[in-house]
Amino acid sequence: MTTTRPVPTPSSWSEPFWAAAREERLTFQVCGSCGTATMYPKRLCPTCLSDALTWQDAAGTGEVYTWTEQVAGPPSGFEDRVPYVVAVVRLDEGVQLMSNIVGPDAANVQCGARVTVAFETVPGTDVVLPVFTLDEAPAGA
Amino acid sequence: MRRATAAVVGIGEVPSGKFPDRSELEAAVLSAAAALRDAGLSPRDIDVVMPVGALASSQFNVDLVFSRICEELGMLRGATMNVQVMSGGASSSTMLAVAEALVTTGAARRVLVLHSDKVGSLPPQRGVDLFATTGVSEEWERPYGHNMNAVGAMTSRRYMYETATTEEELAAVCVSLRKWAMLNPHAMYRSELTMEEVLGSKMVATPLRSRECNMLADGAAAYVVASASDAEEITETPVYVRGHGSLVTHYSMSQDLDLAHLGFPEAAKVAYEESGLGPDDIHVAACYDAYPVYPLIAMDALGLCRGERAGAFVAAGHTSPGGVMPMTTNGGMLSQGHTGAGGGIAVLVEAFRQLMGKAGERQVQGAVNAVETASGGTWMDSHVTVLSKER
Ligand SMILES: [Zn+2]
Repeated sequence: MTTTRPVPTPSSWSEPFWAAAREERLTFQVCGSCGTATMYPKRLCPTCLSDALTWQDAAGTGEVYTWTEQVAGPPSGFEDRVPYVVAVVRLDEGVQLMSNIVGPDAANVQCGARVTVAFETVPGTDVVLPVFTLDEAPAGA
Repeated sequence: MRRATAAVVGIGEVPSGKFPDRSELEAAVLSAAAALRDAGLSPRDIDVVMPVGALASSQFNVDLVFSRICEELGMLRGATMNVQVMSGGASSSTMLAVAEALVTTGAARRVLVLHSDKVGSLPPQRGVDLFATTGVSEEWERPYGHNMNAVGAMTSRRYMYETATTEEELAAVCVSLRKWAMLNPHAMYRSELTMEEVLGSKMVATPLRSRECNMLADGAAAYVVASASDAEEITETPVYVRGHGSLVTHYSMSQDLDLAHLGFPEAAKVAYEESGLGPDDIHVAACYDAYPVYPLIAMDALGLCRGERAGAFVAAGHTSPGGVMPMTTNGGMLSQGHTGAGGGIAVLVEAFRQLMGKAGERQVQGAVNAVETASGGTWMDSHVTVLSKER
C-alpha cells in the first residue's frame, strides 16, 4: 500500500526520537550543560548552544494546550482521515509538541484536558507517530 | 519618543481577486508605476528597489530577485540596489522598518517597496498545500495533518478559552470587514455578508467556518519611502513612521507559549513608547487578519477597545463604517483577499491611504494617526507600527 500522506524525514540528530517512537517511547532532549528540556529535537541546546544533549523518556502524560477538529479542506494525504483532531500538547515535563488526539471520543477534547501518549503507525510505512488519547471524557460530554 | 525620520510618499495598488489573465509582472509594474505617479516621482528618483517574495511562481520570484523590476521600469544605471526582503505576511512591517533604516542613515534616498503574486489563480488544493508548508514544520507538524486553517482554528480555540470570546463574536469580525470591503473597489468580495451567512457556512476546522477562512487572491501593491525631510519636499501628504515594535514568538506554532496574545502586548508597548502616542490618539486600526481571531488579539493588545473585550467591541459595531474605531478598512484578507505575503501589504497601504485622505467612500474623517499590525507564517512574529500625518 502506498500513501501520499507526508511523513517525517528524520535528521541525524532527530533519528533517535523516531527510533524510540517505533519502540513506543516518547522522548525529549535534556542538555548536559544547563539542564534545559527540549522538544522537538535540536542540533544544539537552544538555551546554551551546547551539543551535549542526552535523551530522556517522557512520562507520556500532559494536557491539551489547544486543538481543532479538521472536518473539511485537509491538506493532501489526509482526505480519508477527515475528521481528525490536531492538538498542541503540553507534556508534564514542560515541553510542547504538535500531535493528534485519537480514539472514539477524540472530538470531546477541551483545552486543559488530560491526555496520555499512544503510538500510531502511518499506514503503508514503518513510521510511528506519537499521538494522544483523552484520559477520560469531560463531565457532561 | 523620537522625531520621525522616514515617511511614505506614494502608494499604488491593483484590484485583488481572480485575474488569471493578468500576470504577476503586469500587476507589479502597474502598481509600482501607480506608486511613483502618486508620489510625483520618476523611476530615476528611486535608488533602492525592494520586492517582497512571491509564492505562486518561483520563476517570477527569481525575476524579482534579479532586478527585473529595475529593467521594466527604467531604473537601469539609476537604481543602486535591488534587494528582496521576505517575512511572509509580516513583510509589510519588516520592509517598512528596513526602508526606514536605509533612508534614515542615508544608505538610500528613496525606496520602492513592491509586492505582486498570483496565489489566487493556483488550483485550490495547491493553495491549501502551499500554505501547509509556510511556517508548518515538515518533520514535526505536517505528519499530523496540520495546515493553515488549523493554525487559525487552534489560535481561535485558545483565545476563546482564555477570554470567553464567542463564535458569534468571531463571526462579527468577518461582518465588520465586509462592510468596509463593500466600499472598496479593489476588494475581492463586495456583496453584503450577514452574521447568519457566516455562522451557517460549512465548518472547516472547528471553530472556524468557511466564511472565516480567507480566500487566496491575485494582487499587487507598492509604496515609496523617503527620509522625513525629503518627504516634505516630495508631497503634501507624507505619512510618517512614528514607531515600530515587534517580537518573534515561534517558528512552528506548537512552540508558542502564549497563543492567546502572541507577541502583540510587547510589540504594542514598544511601538507606542517610540511614537509618543497612545491608544487614545489612534483613529484607524489597520489590523492584519487572515482569520478573525488575529485582529481581536491585536486590538486587545493595542488597548483600542475602550476597556471592552475585543470580541464584544467588534460585535457592537464599533469597528465598522461609522464606528468609533475603524478597523482594517480595506476589508482585510477575509474580504479584499489573501495575496500571499501581500495580504498584509494591502492592509498597510490602506493605512497610508487613510492618512493621505485618499480612501474615497471609506475615508475616515479626521484621521491623523493609525496603527498597523502584521505577522508572518503561522503568526511567528507580532509587529505593531504607528503612523501619523504629523511628524
Ligand atoms: Zn543547554
